Amino acid sequence: MMFVIVLDAFRLFFQHGRSDSYRGATTPSSYDDNKTADGQPKARRKVQKKPRKAGDLDDLKQELDIDYHKITPEELYQRFQTHPENGLSHAKAKENLERDGPNALTPPKTTPEWVKFCKNLFGGFALLLWIGAILCFIAYGIQASTVEEPADDNLFLGVVLAAVVIVTGIFSYYQESKSSKIMESFKNMVPQFATVLREGEKLTLRAEDLVLGDVVEVKFGDRIPADIRIIESRGFKVDNSSLTGESEPQSRSPEFTHENPLETKNLAFFSTNAVEGTAKGVVISCGDNTVMGRIAGLASGLDTGETPIAKEIHHFIHLITGVAVFLGVTFFIIAFILGYHWLDAVIFLIGIIVANVPEGLLATVTVCLTLTAKRMASKNCLVKNLEAVETLGSTSTICSDKTGTLTQNRMTVAHMWFDNQIIEADTTEDQSGVQYDRTSPGFKALSRIATLCNRAEFKPGQDNVPILKREVNGDASEAALLKCMELALGDVMTIRRKNKKVCEIPFNSTNKYQVSIHENEDPNDPRHILVMKGAPERILERCNTIFICGKEKVLDEEMKEAFNNAYLELGGLGERVLGFCDFMLPSDKYPIGYKFNCDDPNFPLDGLRFVGLMSMIDPPRAAVPDAVAKCRSAGIKVIMVTGDHPITAKAIAKSVGIISEGNETVEDIAQRLNIPVSEVNPREAKAAVVHGSDLRDLSSDQLDEILRFHTEIVFARTSPQQKLIIVEGCQRMGAIVAVTGDGVNDSPALKKADIGVAMGIAGSDVSKQAADMILLDDNFASIVTGVEEGRLIFDNLKKSIAYTLTSNIPEISPFLAFILCDIPLPLGTVTILCIDLGTDMVPAISLAYEEAESDIMKRPPRDPLHDKLWVRTYFLPIPTLYTLLKTETINTIEQKTCFRSTLVDLIGWLASSMQVPAISLAYEAPESDIMKRQPRDPYRDNLVNRRLISMAYGQIGMIQAAAGFFVYFVIMAENGFLPMKLFGIRKHWDSKAINDLSDSYGQEWTYKDRKTLEYTCHTAFFVSIVVVQWADLIICKTRRNSIVHQGMRNWALNFGLVFETALACFLSYTPGMDKGLRMFPLKFVWWLPAIPFMLSIFIYDEVRRFYLRRNPGGWLEQETYY
Amino acid sequence: MVAGKSEDNGGVKEFQFHQQLNETKWQTFKKLIYDPSNNAVFGRTGKSWGQLLLFYSIFYLILAAMFAICMQGLLASIDEKVPTWTLERSLIGTNPGLGFRPISERTEEGSLIWYNMTNATQVTRWVHLIDEFLEPYRKEQNGENFVNCDFDRHPREGKVCVTDLSMLGNCNAKRSYGYNTSSPCIFLKLNRIYNWEPKFFTTPQKGMPAELQQFLSNDTVSQTEKEQIWVSCQGQSDVDKENLKGFNYYPKGFAGYYYPYKNVENYLSPIIAVEIVNITPNVIVSIECRAWADNIQYRNSTLNREGSVQFEILVDAAAPIQTKLVVDEERNVVETAAGTTTQPTSSKSPS
Repeated sequence: MMFVIVLDAFRLFFQHGRSDSYRGATTPSSYDDNKTADGQPKARRKVQKKPRKAGDLDDLKQELDIDYHKITPEELYQRFQTHPENGLSHAKAKENLERDGPNALTPPKTTPEWVKFCKNLFGGFALLLWIGAILCFIAYGIQASTVEEPADDNLFLGVVLAAVVIVTGIFSYYQESKSSKIMESFKNMVPQFATVLREGEKLTLRAEDLVLGDVVEVKFGDRIPADIRIIESRGFKVDNSSLTGESEPQSRSPEFTHENPLETKNLAFFSTNAVEGTAKGVVISCGDNTVMGRIAGLASGLDTGETPIAKEIHHFIHLITGVAVFLGVTFFIIAFILGYHWLDAVIFLIGIIVANVPEGLLATVTVCLTLTAKRMASKNCLVKNLEAVETLGSTSTICSDKTGTLTQNRMTVAHMWFDNQIIEADTTEDQSGVQYDRTSPGFKALSRIATLCNRAEFKPGQDNVPILKREVNGDASEAALLKCMELALGDVMTIRRKNKKVCEIPFNSTNKYQVSIHENEDPNDPRHILVMKGAPERILERCNTIFICGKEKVLDEEMKEAFNNAYLELGGLGERVLGFCDFMLPSDKYPIGYKFNCDDPNFPLDGLRFVGLMSMIDPPRAAVPDAVAKCRSAGIKVIMVTGDHPITAKAIAKSVGIISEGNETVEDIAQRLNIPVSEVNPREAKAAVVHGSDLRDLSSDQLDEILRFHTEIVFARTSPQQKLIIVEGCQRMGAIVAVTGDGVNDSPALKKADIGVAMGIAGSDVSKQAADMILLDDNFASIVTGVEEGRLIFDNLKKSIAYTLTSNIPEISPFLAFILCDIPLPLGTVTILCIDLGTDMVPAISLAYEEAESDIMKRPPRDPLHDKLWVRTYFLPIPTLYTLLKTETINTIEQKTCFRSTLVDLIGWLASSMQVPAISLAYEAPESDIMKRQPRDPYRDNLVNRRLISMAYGQIGMIQAAAGFFVYFVIMAENGFLPMKLFGIRKHWDSKAINDLSDSYGQEWTYKDRKTLEYTCHTAFFVSIVVVQWADLIICKTRRNSIVHQGMRNWALNFGLVFETALACFLSYTPGMDKGLRMFPLKFVWWLPAIPFMLSIFIYDEVRRFYLRRNPGGWLEQETYY
Repeated sequence: MVAGKSEDNGGVKEFQFHQQLNETKWQTFKKLIYDPSNNAVFGRTGKSWGQLLLFYSIFYLILAAMFAICMQGLLASIDEKVPTWTLERSLIGTNPGLGFRPISERTEEGSLIWYNMTNATQVTRWVHLIDEFLEPYRKEQNGENFVNCDFDRHPREGKVCVTDLSMLGNCNAKRSYGYNTSSPCIFLKLNRIYNWEPKFFTTPQKGMPAELQQFLSNDTVSQTEKEQIWVSCQGQSDVDKENLKGFNYYPKGFAGYYYPYKNVENYLSPIIAVEIVNITPNVIVSIECRAWADNIQYRNSTLNREGSVQFEILVDAAAPIQTKLVVDEERNVVETAAGTTTQPTSSKSPS
């Protein structure tokens, strides 16, 4: 090998001469024929890419710090050991390939499916249930080993708990197995092939085979295969929209124009599109190191974090566990003191802990969230992740992208200046705005130029498409002009045909104008028309006269002044301004048939007649200003984060309401007071416009200050990394952040946000994958809906949880009485499960349908220090309600996201039969004017708080327990066991040996008969819980209003009441229930003893709420208003 | 807390960022227990605790009062003598079971009777239990509302029948109820059900022990005398049956004149003493006794036993005592190694 190199050096020396030998020596020239030394073909070794590590994420967040655009071309070739004409040698290419790996995006490390499944099976609430199930099995084991024939209750309970958890886990897993397909969507952006120069030959290689230093050729229509430095270009323009959000084509050339690599003209980036011209470039980075690769790495590497509601649920679990353990241990000790065997005490401990776990709550919350998701889907808001449904309700800040999200992403002519006046054009999507006057000669001249001096054309076959929505061949500005003219004049193509073009000089960036010469359509006028458009100041230079009010006037200072003012004004609006002029070529010098020479103009380009200006802007979407106003009145801060220029951004911000009337930035104040910016007190400026380059130099504290002290903020010229940093800054301040966006450059921010909202139609695949919610009709106003629904479901979940938790006390207290008072067990395990998993579910879910409580008197914003709520719900199979949902959502999207399997359907059907009342609470209407409240404080407003527990456990639950015990005593007494007889009788009651237990009347009961009596009591206790839960459901409908005001319009809830009762009847009276579930038929009179308690619950709560309304902020509200 | 002033924006305060809780978990926990800044224990000041406790006291007081009123209402609706629901309308049903004595006072021991024949303490324990059970029968049964009943002479309203302990035969206190021998005595009684009237078997039934069937087919016995609820015992399993030589019943059945039970004062249930003849020592024997009547369903099950009772006996013997059971129709005498005699014959236990 060494010998070959030396030989080559000699050869080069003789070929190129001494001065070149160094260069020659460093230029690769040995050919790699892909064979080993002994002639065998070399195996293509699989290249290992080193996996991206977590620490690299911080690297990715940094701005691109390269200098390839700054160095001279020679140094560039030197660094990469490449040659502009020959490209790399094969050997070098291979070496680079082996060193760096292929030019492809590394797929992220995916967690294996079984790990994901296990996470769902064992996370959070499920873990609690698992612990409960295991404890049950242990208890059963203890009983089985010590007693001959153990009661199978614990075994049954353990099995049911395990089943609940497993089914839940399977369901959750399917929910989330739609997983992150971010990398897949990035793959769609990757080009397939590239034209590469290797050793002087042009090869077409797969884009993956490109290496650093390769010389590639790109032409219009191609996707750039890697980050390249342009070394040659011919009219080359790229569309950087995926990186910067700007869809306006940027021209690229070999000049180094800007420090910022994203701004400089001599770099083109991976997976952007070439829209015009051709170019040759040197690959400076590939694969994961490209700008696109870095964004992809960020977006896929980011951890989305816990949703707010997930946090609330954790909080809830902790509280419930705390209460359960506390109760369990207390009674363990008490049992010990009372002389129970320690094994029995352990079984009691286990029983109490398990009884505290609300098994049905998992399903309830899932269904409630699903119902809301369904409602949102019907408003064209697709939610990919159930928990995200609530997040919008807790959102306190929205960071919105501009182009395509707030704006229509379509340049439209907004203003014109002619006849010395600024005319406004109609920019609405459906032409519903004010129309302008089209008859003046000034306009006629202007429109003629705009029509003729224009190379854009409509694509064929769009006759029945509305003009503004048609697709155009040509750049954005010309398309805007074309559409404007089509609207104003009608058939543009006919006009052009009539005024045949004979010569044209296209736009170039040096001259900054475009000119063409046309034949006149007027047969009487043989003169040619010269029309020119371009940068306004250049056009003005070339004009001597100006066409005003039908007359041609000399362009004097006054006119120039007027022109300047108009230009400044339009520019200040952030619009892109174009100047128009024309000239009638005299027919004597330029008769018909004259050979115009476009390369070397043989016609005048000076002394033209200035006609006017037209300015265009990408207008905001129609629904946006209203939506922004509603968000702000709901207390949500709206921040604009865009890659576009600050002036345009500010203009749009003003027009949508992000910067409101009268609010000034520091620059505005400086301008107004005529003082330098540094002297302005920053605290006086409520609004701020921050440039991306400034952002780069800010520390986190400074960023925090900006976020904290300005209420209206616009970030302009931000890179994707900076968008992410802004989101993180807001989150650091404690805000819950929603991000809206549509492009690849928004994807890291979308991922990091608490909820990412992507545009469904205009959005790229990448952004849709990164987002949690997709607006199917691109309607920003849907966000308002989302906020409302989110807040409503939070409130309704509180109610659902309060309802479900309340029944815990009447379920646990019989067991406690059993231990403490030695009475026969009043309520058995099976009946507890019938409540938690059977009768309570539908009503709890029906509360999700509750409407907002209407505002009787305007209430002040909620005191954030005291409002807490816990709701943590997990997933359980969804009832049929969900299947309805599924059919609607699936069909509307092209991606297979949520709710997708027949197995899940089956599970859903299984669970359908359960759980109605708790779910019905989710249907409750909102109580107060939800959209006029502040967003909740995630640190202090919790879903479940002390007040809720106090109400559910301490007050209503106790009344329910009293009802149950009363029924118990009634049945016992009426059958012969007066209350006093029951105390202390437990051991004898449960002993199988005693077949003649005597009651208060001397009757003697066999084991079988008294157990039948006991189970009848269980059934009756269960029924009485159902009865009092009627009242509980009705009082949980409202937290503040009286039921009289709220009404019983929630039909899901009404159904829940009926269903609950029907189920109870079924369980009690169906023959055969006594064998399986040990539930016995009840005499009708035994339904009645619970009624006084039911009424007292109702009356108590009505009175409490009445008092609450009369004394807002009083002690009662602080202690009982959850 | 939150910095900056809030500005009014149409009635709603412009959103200000919330302050994050910057304390460690330990600090939050400590603060939870005791917060020195406002003397709060578990998150509340003393005054707050006071108010809360007052509220809850009033609440629970009212709740308790309501509960008490309801209970009073319940008790007022209950009769002292007659249960609200009886027979089929009650859950006690119309199928009485049997009870046996002696039963251990410790429920953990279940229905096992276990003693060592030669151990005086153990024997005494069981004898005491039986003594306790028979106590009300031993008392004077005259005066008050006791009457002597007979098959033709049923007691009138408010009267109860006399039960004579002399009919217990070998199972008497003087013999320690057989507990110092290998023939212990078990006492059976039928469960009382208010107002339950038996329907008697006056003819032999399948499954009845031979001796009973003989009795019932005997025409010399008067019809009224056949109006009794019969009783028979047997081993549960075949092994148990092998370990049992026979049973003697004193008397054969529960006389019909005791029924119906109407919760009359001083009512004493009829009892039958069953002498388990020569049970195999040192082996647990499971015995089941059932009642015979037309309206007593019988079911042998652990959890759903009907019309019967089950118990286990384990007699430990220091030295095995040979017992010979000789059935001699004519001599009516049985000789045992111990030399004691038994009264009129018992047949081999029916299988």
